[in-house]
Amino acid sequence: MLSQVMVEANIVTIRKLSKVYQQGDINVTALNQISLDIRAGEFLTLMGPSGSGKSTLLHIIAGIDRPTGGECHVQGVDVTRLNESELADWRNQNVGFVFQTFNLIPVLTAYENVELPLLLTRLNRQQRRHQVNTALELVGLGDRSHHLPRQLSGGQEQRVAIARALVTSPSLVVADEPTGNLDSQSAHDVLGILQTLSQTADKTVIMVTHDPKAAAFGSRTIHLEKGELTN
Amino acid sequence: MTVGSFIIKNALRNKRRATLSVLSVAVSLFLLVTLLVALRELTLPPEDAGAALRVVVRNRVSLANPLPARQRPIIEKIPGVEAVSPFTWFGGNFKNEESMTFAQFAMDPKLLRTLFGEAKMPEKQYEDFLKDQRSAIIGKLSADKYKLKVGDKISLTSTIYPATLEFRIAGIYSGTIDDRNLLFHHKYFDEATGDLGQVGTWWVKVRSAEDMPRVITAINAAFANSSSEVRAETERAFQLSFISMLGNIKLLVGSISTVVVFTLILVTASTMSMAIRERFRELAVLKALGFRRRELFAFILAESFGLALLGALIGVGGAYALYTYGNISHMTGGIFITFEVTPKIIGFATLVAASLGIVASIAPSISVARTSVVDGLKTLD
Ligand SMILES: Nc1ncnc2c1ncn2[C@@H]1O[C@H](COP(=O)(O)OP(=O)(O)O)[C@@H](O)[C@H]1O
Ligand SMILES: [Mg+2]
Repeated sequence: MLSQVMVEANIVTIRKLSKVYQQGDINVTALNQISLDIRAGEFLTLMGPSGSGKSTLLHIIAGIDRPTGGECHVQGVDVTRLNESELADWRNQNVGFVFQTFNLIPVLTAYENVELPLLLTRLNRQQRRHQVNTALELVGLGDRSHHLPRQLSGGQEQRVAIARALVTSPSLVVADEPTGNLDSQSAHDVLGILQTLSQTADKTVIMVTHDPKAAAFGSRTIHLEKGELTN
Repeated sequence: MTVGSFIIKNALRNKRRATLSVLSVAVSLFLLVTLLVALRELTLPPEDAGAALRVVVRNRVSLANPLPARQRPIIEKIPGVEAVSPFTWFGGNFKNEESMTFAQFAMDPKLLRTLFGEAKMPEKQYEDFLKDQRSAIIGKLSADKYKLKVGDKISLTSTIYPATLEFRIAGIYSGTIDDRNLLFHHKYFDEATGDLGQVGTWWVKVRSAEDMPRVITAINAAFANSSSEVRAETERAFQLSFISMLGNIKLLVGSISTVVVFTLILVTASTMSMAIRERFRELAVLKALGFRRRELFAFILAESFGLALLGALIGVGGAYALYTYGNISHMTGGIFITFEVTPKIIGFATLVAASLGIVASIAPSISVARTSVVDGLKTLD
């Protein structure tokens, strides 16, 4: 019974997860039999040297990469067993992505960029507008909705990207070095938003970072080294 | 934003490239339509109202060999034959013009109405033509082109016979498939060339369509084993054989068209590949956001299809407008009288554009499908 409750409270359950790249005769082990639980509402930060497997772990949890061994359950679903198309739907409904390089579509306005994931839902135009505006206001950019990415600062672009990640109301937000390309003030703003999400909006946030100051915004930090957890 | 406006924004993100690719499709399809129409016009036999009942008789050896005048009464006696007129190409140069002007034929003016009923002109002009052996009638297209009026005098020097003939224009006709020729008295031709007793061809009017095959066989048989064997055939067959004398135009135009289409496919496919390659990272982001492969294919296909069809609209539409509302006879210096962009040609060119859109989207779709989200995200802008 107790273990059942534990599982329910864990949004992510990882068991013996491995990722091995085969390059000719050489095997590169990006992740080596990792086991990890992440509780709902946590703001988990992932630290470790370059090449230690941080991005790989994040990608597998978020359903854009596949492990070569082990299990990864997210909200009770073993994402490693979904096919391409199921996984796409699952990502749309359950995961929000924030990238180091923002990755907004340059020809779309802030509003349209945020609206993009909603084109895959059944929401009508009015419902979409409500969701988009709510998300943009949450990141403090309600007044910038008609700007194109190039008309925004880096920090503003990243906040638009966070709004895009939130607009489908996913329970999980993953961010791979979201402050890597930002000045310290913008980084501070972005980290503040992510922190608020986990504390008040009940989102689980998983963030990869190099920066101990950034990691300090999280509720827990884990360290990876050569594909293994070192805590 | 809708999916449609998203696709349009993507297609127009590089305005110069979009414009250039639309224009290259447009220009190529314009060329293709022009070639196809030219080919059709060149190989189109005349479909004059009277053509179905006309038989052309020429020397079996070649069109350049003449026929003896004494054949005429023999042909006239064949049952089913209504009228026989000599029809001799004079090959005259007008005003020392080097290029093609108009053809001149010596014939029997009395039979004009019988043989070429579709040639319309005022009765008074026709009577005048009949009376004056040194007069001629000319088609309206040539009259307009060279600003000739009834009563004008013109002089033609033959490139075949040692003769220069003076004509007075007695009438101007219209209503035939090709209102360009000058027609004059065969008697005048005989006098000027020293009564050779020769004609170029015989043009025969047959009483009814049912009589045609029998009359043709009878004419051919009448001169078999004579010193001047003939080949009688329908006017349509005669015109077609004339066209094949122009050389293998069909093959030539066909090969050029194939090259045009092939080049177009290469250009469009490479443009489309470039457009997609530039956006690899974005497409990976779209995948991460939950867009499936087939949705990305649809985006790529719609974009490629849209650009190709826009090009078709401009190229094919432009050709249609130009050749339908423009003065083609003027534009081609009289080489083409009609230049009809048929629904079939429009359909074919549009089909080429549509296939182009599909073919051009294949390679980018495959590379997008092959690239995982993670690999796509690693590509640099
Ligand atoms: N496509 C790949 N092919 C081969 N090796 C790879 C590939 N992607 C990542 N790796 C290797 O996997 C390891 C972990 O990479 P990654 O998760 O990106 O590290 P981090 O994000 O911690 O810098 C590295 O050693 C890297 O070289
Ligand atoms: Mg990384």
